Amino acid sequence: MAQASKARAPFAPWDRREIAGAFSVEETARRAGHYKWTEMKLFEALGGWIATVPELDVKMRLGTHCYKHAWHAELWHKRLPELREMNPDRLTVPANDAMVRFIDAMTEPEAPEQTIEKLVGVYRVLIPHFISAYTYHMNNTSEITDMPTIRSIKFILQDEFDDWRDGEMLLQSLIDTPEEADRAAAHQARLEKIMVEAGGITGPGSIGFQ
Amino acid sequence: MRKFMPASELARDERFSQITQRDRMADGRSTVVLNNDQNRRSNNRLTPQRGDASEAARALMHGIFVGEIQALEGAGRTCWDFTTGEEAPFALKLDMARQAWDEARHVEISCKLSDWMGAEIGQYAENTVLFEAACSDDPVLRLAGVNRALEGLAIDVFTTMKEFGEIAGDPYLEFCEDWMLADEVTHVKMGSDWLRKVTENDPERRKKALEFQNIVDKMFSYGGSRSESDESSLMIARRFRELAGFTDTEVDYIAEVSMQALNERKAQIAERQAAVASKN
Repeated sequence: MAQASKARAPFAPWDRREIAGAFSVEETARRAGHYKWTEMKLFEALGGWIATVPELDVKMRLGTHCYKHAWHAELWHKRLPELREMNPDRLTVPANDAMVRFIDAMTEPEAPEQTIEKLVGVYRVLIPHFISAYTYHMNNTSEITDMPTIRSIKFILQDEFDDWRDGEMLLQSLIDTPEEADRAAAHQARLEKIMVEAGGITGPGSIGFQ
Repeated sequence: MRKFMPASELARDERFSQITQRDRMADGRSTVVLNNDQNRRSNNRLTPQRGDASEAARALMHGIFVGEIQALEGAGRTCWDFTTGEEAPFALKLDMARQAWDEARHVEISCKLSDWMGAEIGQYAENTVLFEAACSDDPVLRLAGVNRALEGLAIDVFTTMKEFGEIAGDPYLEFCEDWMLADEVTHVKMGSDWLRKVTENDPERRKKALEFQNIVDKMFSYGGSRSESDESSLMIARRFRELAGFTDTEVDYIAEVSMQALNERKAQIAERQAAVASKN
């Protein structure tokens, strides 16, 4: 082993992290507030739907996923004061009115025959948008100054990918006929249009494009 | 999706048949058996020695299974029915979401256990009284009724089943019940903590919540099927209830109410038997 007192570079040769990042503290807090608001709306909806779906396997998955999104909301709630927002509720808001309309439309299906619509809204529209927004944030923020956000996003993304796969497989198992495929596609298109209007979970620029 | 959902609209597949508590208590195949009948047993505690132990354990396991489904639905609805901040604190809703996950695992465990014990989904009727207790429009009342009264009952049920598994030499059953018991103690403690916290400056609301808890406790003494008497199938798990935040006075009260329920049920059965005898 080399002498303990020998000078070493502060960053090892394999550590290529850069200080530069696309987001200020304020912008990071704004995005975190929108993530928290949307994760909250999602866990509340999943919780409410449990009693409305007759399929036992779907019921159990919704219960499991409900907690994961509540935990994501909690992570953002705890991150906000670290970003100088001492009143987290102030930033726990939707990105814009279109996001409110999106959540209203997503949570509209209630009847036991509408499991497909419930799952489409979450697993074919909202969660893919979460994956995109989180990925964009993780890949563009400073790997040194904002590492706590990156760490949270890495945990969250793991859940999002797992849950998306669960949801997509449930959907594939429930869609049996061309009519059901049409129903799923129609509902997805309806919701996607509202999401386009919103510009994504954090509004225009959710994934970089304005 | 609207807020607040009646128990009559709980979504189920074709295997399930739902009944009310009234239907259940009117069923002649009561779990309470009078000990003045020489041909029948005087000890109703669920033990492997009972002649009907397998069937009784399967029925109880199915009851646990449907109870877990309703507990899952109740916790989920509490996440949805109340506005965050205004009607229910954010942290309380996070706890309810956590409970939903726990209950979902309990449904999974109960399914596997039912299969292990030779029962099928829908083999027994589903009593929806548990979800009815989760329909209050005050989240504190829900916590008192569900987390303290019903999850408290779950502690008694799982303790009885765990012991049943231990005595019967069924490590699979014992293992599963022990894990579920750990979660239930957590849920009861959650209820105790939130009840204290939310009603800290509102003694009237606390009183109302505790009264509701007592009503649910009495209702869930299941006509005497849970008490400290051997005539009841289920025991009261004092030690685990203490861990979950119940005081000695509270457990004494539950024991007293359960004994009253047992005696009332016995009197009802005796009355019916006398009426039948007089007709003959």
